Amino acid sequence: MALPGLVYLFINNYMPLPGLVLAFKKYNAKKGIFGSDFVGLKNFKYLFTTKDAYIITRNTICYNVVFIIVNTILAIFVAILLAEMTSRMKKVYQCLILLPYMISMVIVSYLVYGFLSTDNGFLNNTLLPLLGKEPVNWYMEKKYWPFLLTFVNAWKVVGYNSIIYISTILGIDRGIYESAQIDGASKWMQVRKITIPLLKPTVIMLTLLAIGRIFYSDFGLFYQVPQNQGALFAVTNTIDTYVYRGLLELGNMSMASAAGLYQSMVGFVLILGANFLVRRIDKDSALF
Amino acid sequence: MGIKKSLLAMGIATSMAMTALVGCGSQEAAPADATPAADTGAKETSAASDSAQSDAAVDADAARAAIDARKAEAEKSGEYQKVVVSFFDWTGAPAGLERVNEEISKHTRETLGLDVELLIIDSAAYTEDIKLMLSSGEQVDLFSTCGPGYMTCVNNGYTADLEENGLLDTYGSELKAMIRPEYLDACRVDGVLHGVPPIKDYAIQTATILIGTEYLEGAGVDLTKFSKDDLGYYKATWDDVDEMFAAIHAAFPDKTVYSTQDNLLTQGSCVDNIAGDYYGTLLDPSNSLEIKNVYESDLFKEWAERAYKWNQAGYISGDAMSDKTGASARIKSGSYMAMMSQAKPAYQNQINGECGRDMTIFDVGESFMSSSAVSAFPWCMNQATEDPIAAMQVLNALYTDPVVANLACWGQEGVEYVVNSDTSIKWPDGINADNSEYYPNVLWLMPNQYAAHVWEGDPVDVGEQTAAFNDECPVKSKALGFTWDNSEYVAEYTALQNAYEEFGPQVVYGFTDPETGLKQLNDALYAAGLEEYMNAKQAALTEWAEANGIK
Repeated sequence: MALPGLVYLFINNYMPLPGLVLAFKKYNAKKGIFGSDFVGLKNFKYLFTTKDAYIITRNTICYNVVFIIVNTILAIFVAILLAEMTSRMKKVYQCLILLPYMISMVIVSYLVYGFLSTDNGFLNNTLLPLLGKEPVNWYMEKKYWPFLLTFVNAWKVVGYNSIIYISTILGIDRGIYESAQIDGASKWMQVRKITIPLLKPTVIMLTLLAIGRIFYSDFGLFYQVPQNQGALFAVTNTIDTYVYRGLLELGNMSMASAAGLYQSMVGFVLILGANFLVRRIDKDSALF
Repeated sequence: MGIKKSLLAMGIATSMAMTALVGCGSQEAAPADATPAADTGAKETSAASDSAQSDAAVDADAARAAIDARKAEAEKSGEYQKVVVSFFDWTGAPAGLERVNEEISKHTRETLGLDVELLIIDSAAYTEDIKLMLSSGEQVDLFSTCGPGYMTCVNNGYTADLEENGLLDTYGSELKAMIRPEYLDACRVDGVLHGVPPIKDYAIQTATILIGTEYLEGAGVDLTKFSKDDLGYYKATWDDVDEMFAAIHAAFPDKTVYSTQDNLLTQGSCVDNIAGDYYGTLLDPSNSLEIKNVYESDLFKEWAERAYKWNQAGYISGDAMSDKTGASARIKSGSYMAMMSQAKPAYQNQINGECGRDMTIFDVGESFMSSSAVSAFPWCMNQATEDPIAAMQVLNALYTDPVVANLACWGQEGVEYVVNSDTSIKWPDGINADNSEYYPNVLWLMPNQYAAHVWEGDPVDVGEQTAAFNDECPVKSKALGFTWDNSEYVAEYTALQNAYEEFGPQVVYGFTDPETGLKQLNDALYAAGLEEYMNAKQAALTEWAEANGIK
């Protein structure tokens, strides 16, 4: 039964592996991938020599750390609420909360723009005057964006992440809750003492997976949603957007490969490290 | 199990998955069914190299022989060899493309003994698609570099040497005769001709201000005080423009005056963006080959101050920096009134169409031909093309054969257009730009738009007018034809590009006071390595100038 998945995995993830060599070459279509000349680590240079290297690395990592924490807490919160719910509206809520995940980032960026546009936005035209506040030039003020991006990201992915938690919660033996009830445990006590401890392996697993991608940023979120505004770069420029801006005109495949290889190598090391730590603390929760 | 699987998968970057897969293809694709064509190809090529020095008659014989060989081959196999030509349009493959391809092929089977397939791709996808096709071995023989960029294609090794074994001389002699040697030279990279330029306006009329005629009338602007320039557009000064902006702003307070775009330098100045970027430019390109930083120049400062002034006066939308709609499309929407662009002969029809209304053209700047004007997007041949001779003969036909040019530019006569008595063309009854089955609307990138009909309303001699416009251009860059491969300085380039995007647009759209904005921008550019980048450019330019005897 796993065969289609394995075939897909092999074609998509293993067959291209030899292509990694491109990161160390100066690609020339006439010579092909394997015939092109080796240039050592030159393709990696641009990622480190720039003065922006610090900012883009910091932004990429810090945002991802915040996202992991915020999204996990919110997803568990939503999952518990939905799992406890018995009304017929449950399915409707579940669908509604999942909806943002299905929307393309480009469209999300225009939804956000509808709220934040300086001249025509909902906030500046309706909400802020109602509160008696001055309009804000949202796309020029970087102080708001760490919160805005975290909010947009959470709004988009929490529904999807909560599904995994819901399925774990629904898998918990109902008998445990019943006996807790007989012992007089309140709903809150049940959540705290039963649900959350039993969710721990799932949380660890999902967090470990997220750590592996900590050097990647959601390109759409950081490029489309802030509308590629220069004034916001200090808080929106990540490794992916930096590479994109630089290589858009050059179309240099070797440099793009170098960036990808760098990101995945760091992710690989981090995931090994994190898993090692987990295994030291709680052997059963480790992934491998 | 599932988790561990995906864990293993995570070490692999998606971007590489794409490129590497593509690469695998290119290793095997070539030999598949190439044999018959490649054989004849090789024969002709060696024949060609022998005759490269000889006279035109021999060349014509060689060309004839290649065509006859293909016809004989087609008679045997019952199938004609195909040459694929790719370029972009604005809406993706037109509905009538297959029919038009069949019409072209009907003609070229007779004249060239082969089928021609135009492969038209949406402009948004073209850059990526053409690169994938060129590196994957998919058949595309001729392609426009408008999109991926000429130097990118050359640097990535996508392009064939058009003069190898006398290819151009022997099989593209008519095409060669149509393009001046200096324009061909402008497309050479290290002496090798990788592409031939489309025949078009290479010079531009810089800093042209366009204002909707209805708004000028509504504001009661008197146009009789303006004299007209050689192209028939009103000559105006920046003070005139300020006056008119103030007038239309007062008359139409609900509309935004100026539809901005980041084109102050590209369309609004005679600064030569040497080697394709503005990090190190020629400020006085017709007189000096000294590379300078344009962002510190008076010229840029003037523009920045003008933009700031307009912004302060309320002529620019507060959303200008985040609104990605094209400047003309915004005017078409009816909520903007004016924009800045570049003009050329027969510009009126084009801009009226783009803006959806009658526009009045004010010529404020000078006419200018930059170093990369000719080599901006030449037509190239895929280096992996199976039969370079056939491809060259098709390229030749695109430049010289009116039947082929008309079909490629306008579609089928009687279906997409009808011919007027003065040879200009117009829509047939009931057909327009929206329901036409073939209307790529990219004349300016076609190999030779002047081999085809002229659209009604434009002068029928627009070809001659354009040639004169190119010739009489007063500010011609001395560096015409200089190209530079910046691959040794990509780290700097990437950093510069990011620095510009961080601080540049705010200045260009007039959102920061030039006093502080320009300093921020320049500090960031120098920190990103502008000095080094400019020095490298200067060294290459000086060397090039010496080699070509330019002082």
